Amino acid sequence: MKVSGVRYLVQQGVDNVWKNRMMAFASFCVLLVSLLLVGISVLAYYNVNSIIGGIEEKNEVIVYFNDNTDDETLKEIGSKLRAMPNISEVVFYSKEEAYESLKASMAEYEVLFDSLGDDNPLVDAYRIKVNNIDEIQSTIAEIRKLDNIYSIRAPYDFVNILVQLRTILTWVMGAIILAMVIVSMVIISNTTKASVYARREEIQIMKYVGATDAFIRFPFFIEGMITGFFAGCMALVITWLVYDSVVNILQNQVALLNIIGMGSIIRFADIYIPVTVAYVVGGALVGAIGSAISTRRYINV
Amino acid sequence: MVELKDVSVTYASGVDALNHVSLKINDGDFAFVVGSSGAGKSTMIKLLLKEIDATEGVVIVNGYNLRKLRRRKIPELRRTIGIVFQDFRLIPSMTVYENIAFVLRVIDAPYKYIRKRVPYVISLVGLQAKANSFPHELSGGEMQRVAIARALVNDPKLIIADEPTGNIDPELSYEIVELLKGINACGTTILMVTHEHDLVRHFGGRIINITQGEIVFDEILGGADEG
Repeated sequence: MKVSGVRYLVQQGVDNVWKNRMMAFASFCVLLVSLLLVGISVLAYYNVNSIIGGIEEKNEVIVYFNDNTDDETLKEIGSKLRAMPNISEVVFYSKEEAYESLKASMAEYEVLFDSLGDDNPLVDAYRIKVNNIDEIQSTIAEIRKLDNIYSIRAPYDFVNILVQLRTILTWVMGAIILAMVIVSMVIISNTTKASVYARREEIQIMKYVGATDAFIRFPFFIEGMITGFFAGCMALVITWLVYDSVVNILQNQVALLNIIGMGSIIRFADIYIPVTVAYVVGGALVGAIGSAISTRRYINV
Repeated sequence: MVELKDVSVTYASGVDALNHVSLKINDGDFAFVVGSSGAGKSTMIKLLLKEIDATEGVVIVNGYNLRKLRRRKIPELRRTIGIVFQDFRLIPSMTVYENIAFVLRVIDAPYKYIRKRVPYVISLVGLQAKANSFPHELSGGEMQRVAIARALVNDPKLIIADEPTGNIDPELSYEIVELLKGINACGTTILMVTHEHDLVRHFGGRIINITQGEIVFDEILGGADEG
């Protein structure tokens, strides 16, 4: 096809948006709502995941050693721990440090500590942070195989709750997003079908005068793409405004931030590029493909 | 050229629309196809446009054997045929000029050619003053003239006119047939389907009568206007 032909078809697509503005507006609204629902669900999911990640960070596993373990062995064990794949941080916590810390936290029982004299009843330990909290069980099992270990303290219950929460959240959010994508596609396809149906005579005439299927579909494709593009832009603006308002409200909730951590809420400024691309490209693609699929039914004349 | 060799069409419902029909219309001919409704006239048009396929027999249109014609080649066939409908089928959102130019755009004709050819065809049907009017601003006769111009603009070998006078005033019907006769005089084959016997009697020429899916009459008669 010649360049002038492509230009004509693109122009037709642009003109059709205005000529069929009621239908275009209906498609625009459906696309906008669908994009918003899917977009906000995805953003909510990422934030909740980030908050869970923030809580995870605060948890540590403490490995206590037998009282008679010498410094050499402790160092050796320390490097073994660092070499383990799921361990991100290993900090030595000597029994002297632990004793000082305990004394500081129980200052009112000073008499009790005096009675112990120089005798330190505590043991040396390593404070460990893991990369993936889901695998904490197997990591601890591996640590247990090392020598001289007195005991291990791990936040099993808390970890289990977090892991379960994230699994449930992944499934629920996944199901919501999938359902919304399917529902959106069905509604968009029907709206476009109505738009194509309204112009079935035009399509028939085109077929009778020898138009190819591609020639007929192309303007609908462009029309859908333009509608989708604008719906994507509008969804982006709305999401930005709503998201920033919600983040502003949350930033004033000091008690909440203490639990979830300040950095756990993703700022819009950090994600605006992928969100913009997803909305605009996603909107244009869904609009274009929805239109192209719907023309198929009326094209067989 | 149109050739039907022993063609039958049976619809899925079991209705025999055409029954062993054989027919040949040579290049440059003008033929009226007459018959009551349900006789098989519309089926024949659908067959020639490859909207449907023959159950039996061979259909050849402008050198294309329709049985062997692949689906993606149908636009190529249709570009050699101009079609005029009873209900005009103009695109309401387009002006007269755009309705006609549209056909040339479909076949990707050069822009310069479109600008030259469309006004020429509009002048042939005598609608220069209405070039920028929309279909709803035209009378029935004018709309049919636009439809004829649209069928003609691509310089087709064959024009199929399906009851072109069915929706217009009787006195204007003669004008429309005169116009088609004029186009035929320039070498285009015309197949005009009608049930207006007065019109057929007036103009005469080749008359093909289809009744219950069979050709019962195929003769050349002298018209009243020749007398």
